[in-house]
This record gives sequence, C-alpha cells and structure tokens, in this order.
Amino acid sequence: MVTNWLSYSLSDFLMFGPEVFLRLFVRINQDIWPWQSVAVAMVIAIGALLVRGDAMARRGVLLLVAAAWLWSGAGFLVHYYGPINLPAIWFGWAFVLQGALLTVAALLWPWNAAKTRPACSRWSTGVGWIMLVGVSPLVAVAQTGNSLALSMFAITPDVTALGAVPCMLLFPRRVRWLFLSLPLIWSLFSVATLWTLGTWVLAVIPGATLVLAALACFINPRWAQNPD
Amino acid sequence: MNPIPSSGERLPAVGMGTWRTFNVGGDQYLTDQRTEVLKTFFDLGGTLVDCSPMYGSAAEVMGEALDTLNAREKLFSASKIWTGDGDATRQQDRESRTKWGIERFDLQQVHNLVAWQQHLATLQQMKADGDVRYIGITTSHGRRHGDFARIMETEPLDFVQLTYNVLDREAEDRLLPLARERGIAVIVNRPFQGGRLFRRFQSNALPSWADEVGCRNWAEFFLKYILSHPAVTCAIPATTSVEHMKENMGALYGALPDEQQRRRMAAYVAGL
Ligand SMILES: NC(=O)c1ccc[n+]([C@@H]2O[C@H](COP(=O)([O-])OP(=O)(O)OC[C@H]3O[C@@H](n4cnc5c(N)ncnc54)[C@H](OP(=O)(O)O)[C@@H]3O)[C@@H](O)[C@H]2O)c1
Repeated sequence: MVTNWLSYSLSDFLMFGPEVFLRLFVRINQDIWPWQSVAVAMVIAIGALLVRGDAMARRGVLLLVAAAWLWSGAGFLVHYYGPINLPAIWFGWAFVLQGALLTVAALLWPWNAAKTRPACSRWSTGVGWIMLVGVSPLVAVAQTGNSLALSMFAITPDVTALGAVPCMLLFPRRVRWLFLSLPLIWSLFSVATLWTLGTWVLAVIPGATLVLAALACFINPRWAQNPD
Repeated sequence: MNPIPSSGERLPAVGMGTWRTFNVGGDQYLTDQRTEVLKTFFDLGGTLVDCSPMYGSAAEVMGEALDTLNAREKLFSASKIWTGDGDATRQQDRESRTKWGIERFDLQQVHNLVAWQQHLATLQQMKADGDVRYIGITTSHGRRHGDFARIMETEPLDFVQLTYNVLDREAEDRLLPLARERGIAVIVNRPFQGGRLFRRFQSNALPSWADEVGCRNWAEFFLKYILSHPAVTCAIPATTSVEHMKENMGALYGALPDEQQRRRMAAYVAGL
C-alpha cells in the first residue's frame, strides 16, 4: 500500500494543464471589465487608510481586506478555478469564511485602544503596501506575455493573500495566527500547483506570501501590541 | 482495426484520452479548440474516446464538443466508475451519460479498481440489462498488477485498461499474455508516459531504419511499438493539439513492426 502511494508524483494529481490555468486570469479580466476599477480603488483606499492609521482607518483596512477575500474566493476560486480543480472550490469557500470572520473581527475589535504610530512609519507602510500589491499583478503578465492576464488584488487569490498578510499585523500576535493560517495553507497549495504546472514565475507570489506569513507569525511590532 | 475478443466488433487501434486535455472548465475558446481536436480525431477514423468522472470538467466539455460536431454516431464511448461508494455505480453512470449526452456507454470501466467488487457486480448486471455494452477495469503506472491479474483470471471482463509504452513494459510479463489467454480487449493508457517520452527523446533523430517499421515521426514510433503487441486492441493518447492528433492518427496506417523489430525499437530508445 505504501509503495503504491510512493508511485504517485505531484503531477499525477494535477488534472489540468498550464494553458487552461493561465487563461483563467484573462477570462476573469474580460468578464468583469470594467469592475477592475473597484479593485484599484480598494488598493488605493487600503494604502491611504494604512497611512492614516487611526482606529477607524484600521477597521476600514480590515473590512476592505475582508471584501477582497470574499470577492476572490467566490469569484476566481469557486466560479473560475473550481470547474477545473475541485480543491479550488474548497479553498474558495474557505476564503469566503475568512472574509466573514475578518469582517466580524474588524467590527468588534477594540481598535480605540491601539497605539498610534509615527507618521513616517505609517507612510512607509501605506506606500510600501501599495507598491507591493501594485507590482504583483504584473507577475502573471510576465508569465503569460499577455497584458490581459493581470492578476489583481481582490480578484485573484495569490495577490489577495499576499496583500492581506501585512495587514494582519494590525492585530496583536495572539489573534493574528487565526487569519494567517489560510494564506499559509493556500500559498503552500498554490506554490505546489504552480511548480508542478511549470509556471515558476507565478510561483513567486505565493512563495513571497509564505515567507511574509511565516514572519508575521513571529514579529510583534509595538503598535500591534494592543489592547492588553 | 482490431477486434474486441468478446464480440468480434472491430475498433480503430488509436483512440483518444481526455485526462487534463479536455478539462477546460467553462472556457469557450478552449472548448472550441478541443472540439477541433475531436473533429480531427473522427475525420481521421478514430472512434474510442476515454474519460472519467475524475477528469474534472472533461465529460461536460466532451458533451459540448459532441453537440457541436453532431458526431455521436461515430463515437465509441468509454467512461469509468470512480467512487468509493460501491452502491453508486448506476448513479455515476447516469451522471456521466447526462454530461456526454448519450443513452448508454459502449464501455464502462472500474477506475483504478476503486471499490471494484461492488462496481463490477453492478456493471455485470447493467450489461445483462443492456444498460452498457462492454465492461472493464483500469489501472495505470504499473500499479496493483497482482490484484489486476487476479480479477482478470476470475471475472468475466470485455476490456482491461493499463499502462504500456516503450519504457514502461511491465505489462508484457503477465497482464498482456493473460489478456490474450482470457480473450480480453486491452486499452493502453499513457502511451507517451504522459508526454515525457517526447520531452526525453524528441530532440534525438529517429533511427535510420524507422521507415522499415512504418514510422515517420516519434509519435508513430511510440504508438506502433504499442499497437504491434498482439494483445493490444487500442492505445488512447491524449492531446490538446490538432497537429499532434494528426501525427498520432498516422499510427493507424502503414506497416507495423514484427517481434524482432519491436525488440530493436525498445533497445534503441533504451540506448538514447
Ligand atoms: N487509471 C486510468 O484509468 C488512467 C490513467 C492514466 C491515463 N488514462 C487515460 O489514458 C489517456 C492517455 O494518458 P495520458 O493523457 O496520461 O498521457 P499520454 O497520452 O501518454 O500523453 C499525453 C501528453 O502527450 C503529449 N502529446 C500527445 N501527442 C503528441 C505528439 N504527437 N507530439 C508531442 N506530444 C504529444 C500531449 O501534449 P499536447 O497536448 O501538447 O499534444 C500530452 O501532454 C488519458 O488521457 C486517460 O484517458 C487512464
């Protein structure tokens, strides 16, 4: 029995080829046009709220990230990716659940007790986040050579997970792991899938998410040590 | 054309697999492209198409392609039962038929021996009731050949499906001779080792004696090695490409290697 399982490789479980996977990005962009503008607005809003950094802004950041989990989960994962890869449907519903949980946490968490950070730290966080999430969509373009394959935050799962992880630093460490488990598990799944598909360039995004999420489990910025 | 031993009905020796290649979800552009691949297959004389509920959206895509081509009368439909629930044989057969848009399958196989005792018993009953024409079992990658042989020895089967190619030749030892002895048709899956044979060998030249064995390209070389085994009824390569389909169907024509030439073919590939 064990030797039977050893005869399987990762590629035996992959039931689709790179062509059909890479076209998912093109298809969703064609189908939802011009709603990408909402995703762009969300990115700018999150960046701006990270710069503002007060209690309401933190709540706003997390509500927008929650919306991104919901949209990319129900849209890309369940509707587009699911028909060619069953586990994508399970992940899609996990994304939706994460979005719902994050919404509740964002609304109920006592943000007023949070420490405010110095302006330069807030600016570097906000601008850095926008740069990270603004550049990442181009990775899918580089992989496919097709500008329609832009993989945007809130629309596609890898970039959503990458953008969500730094925002989880707003929570103190003891609850943060709750919201880091999904990006960790998803990114492991995604790296394995992309590696097996041979789309190595794309694997950079979930690879980076894995590193960031692992770091986020351990680091504990002072402004996140709230409220005790 | 090779006969199915249990009935004498003849089948073209090259069929078509759909694992990965036809799982294109709701992508209309790719569905249309795969429809062209299927059209080429039928135009060049193919009939047997193999699919499984395990292959994601492949069965729905096949149904849509068959609608577009209006080609169901050309088809020899082969599907599989792939569920651990031994009571769900008929239900899964029904679901697959709905996706393909057909009234009954020509061949229904127990996929990878999953819950095979119950499924095979139901399939035998379905065959007796006229709900399926032929029944069989499948394996791949050389897995569970011992169990497979025992089932071949004890159960009435029309077909077996197994992996056999110029590199993976384990089936030559027991399963292929047993199929001949028991009068069971053999469908060969993974004839190109999932495409690896091309990746490994395509950059090499064909041997200077390739035309003696009726081969104009590597696809014909790999397929004719398989089809020239006397126990083999049909090989089912999968492809996403019309050009590759044309190459693969080329193996239906021209000379086939004899036993000595087959040994030479295997030795040539092993030496590369
Ligand atoms: N347990 C089971 O029941 C079981 C297990 C495995 C397979 N199967 C069945 O057997 C079928 C065949 O096996 P498979 O799909 O795993 O592997 P395969 O047919 O050995 O190889 C398919 C690969 O070969 C490439 N290819 C095909 N024709 C080519 C050509 N002329 N030149 C260059 N490349 C070519 C295809 O790429 P392109 O798309 O680029 O042509 C594809 O990547 C499956 O589709 C499935 O129906 C059944």
